[in-house]
Amino acid sequence: MTAAKDALQALVVRDRDHECDGFGPARVCVRVVAVAELPTRFGHFRLVGFWNNRDGKEHVALVHGDVVEGDDVPVRLHSECLTGDVMGSLRCDCRDQLTEGLRTIQREGRGILLYLRQEGRGIGLLNKIRAYALQESGLDTVEANQALGFRDDERDYAVAAHMLRSLGVKSVRVVTNNPDKIRQLEQHGVTVSGRIPHVIPPNEFNRFYLETKARRSGHLIDLTEERLPEQSDRVLVEGMPP
Amino acid sequence: MSREVNVLVVGAGVSGLSCAREAAAAGHSVQVLDRARGVGGRCASHRLDGIAFDLGVSFLHGRDPDFLAALREVPGRKLEGWPRAIRGSGRPCQPEAFQAGEERLAFVDGVTAFPKHLARGLAVRARARVERLDLTREGPRIVLEGGEEIEARHVVLALAAEQVLRLLAAVPDLPRPLASVVALLETSSSESSLSLCAAYPAGTPVPPWDACYPEDSSILQFIAHESGKREAPPFLGLVLQARPSWARRHVDDPAWPEALLSEAGRVLGTWTASPSATHAHRWKFARTDLSSELSGPVLVQLPSGASVGICGDRFAPGGGVEAAWISGRALGRRLAALEVA
Repeated sequence: MTAAKDALQALVVRDRDHECDGFGPARVCVRVVAVAELPTRFGHFRLVGFWNNRDGKEHVALVHGDVVEGDDVPVRLHSECLTGDVMGSLRCDCRDQLTEGLRTIQREGRGILLYLRQEGRGIGLLNKIRAYALQESGLDTVEANQALGFRDDERDYAVAAHMLRSLGVKSVRVVTNNPDKIRQLEQHGVTVSGRIPHVIPPNEFNRFYLETKARRSGHLIDLTEERLPEQSDRVLVEGMPP
Repeated sequence: MSREVNVLVVGAGVSGLSCAREAAAAGHSVQVLDRARGVGGRCASHRLDGIAFDLGVSFLHGRDPDFLAALREVPGRKLEGWPRAIRGSGRPCQPEAFQAGEERLAFVDGVTAFPKHLARGLAVRARARVERLDLTREGPRIVLEGGEEIEARHVVLALAAEQVLRLLAAVPDLPRPLASVVALLETSSSESSLSLCAAYPAGTPVPPWDACYPEDSSILQFIAHESGKREAPPFLGLVLQARPSWARRHVDDPAWPEALLSEAGRVLGTWTASPSATHAHRWKFARTDLSSELSGPVLVQLPSGASVGICGDRFAPGGGVEAAWISGRALGRRLAALEVA
């Protein structure tokens, strides 16, 4: 067993009875439950499984290299998107963002991708499908999308901050184009020592960003007025004017 | 033109009341309407031979710190943790109620203690059934049964989805944001609820449980040991609630109370089937189907500067009274942020 893996395995034992006041208004409290190797097509990771003591939700961190007690650790937050991540949906850029996050961490030689699962009792997939259906019917409006609004960013940051604390990370460089993400993490007590731009290489599916000069933040490929932000990260494609 | 009230809330359930409180606290003049005789909607108690029977919501549960604080502000004795002793392993109406981190309680004075407390200081008009909603160029107008009209700057519909749809469907040239909300509500539905209060003669043995969730009944979902919530009850009282799927099929069948009683007799023993007094109540549109939950209330601004808001247990995660209260408060806060006329 390598030292890096040892350090992660030790967290499982350490966290067996972990219970704290929690992070954020929902008092999110997670603990490390299981660690295993995860070879991927993007490189080798270790998969660290977390359990949220408050609502029984599972989250995972994909860890590469030595991060426990680490400084300036590259960290990417990714919010689960079943349609994008798994199904390769072109309604969003989640898959491009996920794979580029993993590649960045490999390039940096170490880092963590926090894969944040849907929170909030049932809100998620069904309402996303409803939102898409409204879009197709031409009836999507800001109000309806807000009512469907399927992510609680605030809670995501609380989960992320606790996961980083659990992993013993001392300071992070956040892989993001969204300065608000950094502020939010800092508000939850994460020491942010820098930012790594999150730039996606061009491909046949995102080339239109280069053509439309990415007029908006948000990430839906459908260029309607209302967006359903999922990664709360502005899409930047290599070669795109700022 | 001047409007009679600033915020008109239709529906004095927990959601409507919690919205009205926030708006009133911000200085809006607020009027609440309800078709029933009292406040509370499905947080309803019925007195049978002097005992309060909670015939809709039987106990309150949640995990939101503000909601829990609001419950504990209510005067009167509370039974913390109720129901504690559970019989049967059937699925609860709200499975989250029994998950870790969730707190439960019942009110010794009946569940209406909560909405009554929320309604304190608010102008609530009972027995006012809303017939129609007009969106005129000047703003919204509510037409009551009997023809009386009330104009308001902002109207809040704190009703079941089906009732909101009935009002909005009749509005000609519905503005697009409201049409999209209609499309949203049409993808979801409410469950029906059939509830029977049953009193048993003094001397009937008191069951050793607070609540029963029968696991082998296609008819009964929940039986509350109602008199167990009361101070020195003179007799045994139960509330029987039907499964939503059964209720949907039998909501218009006048024989449903007998069917519930005979099923209770099968589940608990034949004595249950012969109460000394009963009271039956049905809600055609009761709690939201949990697959239909949304994340927040809706507030649609109209060109006149007026607005239409919609809140309810569907408009916050988790359903139930907690979601109703949270969605109402969220909408009330959005109204509070609007200019007070």
